[in-house]
Amino acid sequence: METKLLLPNYYKKIGTAVLLISTALWIYVALSGNDQFIPETNFFAVVNGDAMGKSKYFSIDKLNLTYTFIGSLFISGSLLVAFAREKTEDEYIMKLRLSSFQWAVLVNYVLLLLMFLFVYGLDFITVMIYNMFTTIILFIVRFNYLLLKNKLADEK
Amino acid sequence: MKNNIKVERAIMNITQEELAKAVSVTRQTINAMEKNKYVPSTVLALKIARLFGKQVEAIFILEDSD
Repeated sequence: METKLLLPNYYKKIGTAVLLISTALWIYVALSGNDQFIPETNFFAVVNGDAMGKSKYFSIDKLNLTYTFIGSLFISGSLLVAFAREKTEDEYIMKLRLSSFQWAVLVNYVLLLLMFLFVYGLDFITVMIYNMFTTIILFIVRFNYLLLKNKLADEK
Repeated sequence: MKNNIKVERAIMNITQEELAKAVSVTRQTINAMEKNKYVPSTVLALKIARLFGKQVEAIFILEDSD
């Protein structure tokens, strides 16, 4: 069966490496509080809002690119991992893949609902930041768990 | 849906691996079907029936719950 929208299998390894590097950088920034390890650089922004609530459009400004860099790296890495073909890809694997997406979206939004109900104030921003990445992470974890479970059940 | 894949496989004397290869899926897929954990696509059902030289209905059987 033809499977669409998937990358070759070796992207899974590349993606994992990118994901690990960005996670390490993320942890480093979170622990050290040094969010300027990339010096502020003149960079193009479509929208750039300042602390006063004013937004500039299509400007070139000195920008902090640390989070831009880590975030882009993390998203690229997780997309590569999530959309890489398995070594042998067939309709059953495709079914596991799709049911994992469904599971990840469901769990993500149940968690977000709980956060909405129980987290208030500035801490909610932290929830929003992490929630940008949880869907794809939940998917990757769930899909690989199902693959592993399936493989172990098969060897019995 | 039930199926007779295991029986048909025994009659033809082929392993899960060989069947998987013949219909170009993984062995896990054959295993999941034999354990009634996976309902194959129409394409795969037709391929398996053709390999066993039987009608699809002789291998895949609807149950009351379907």
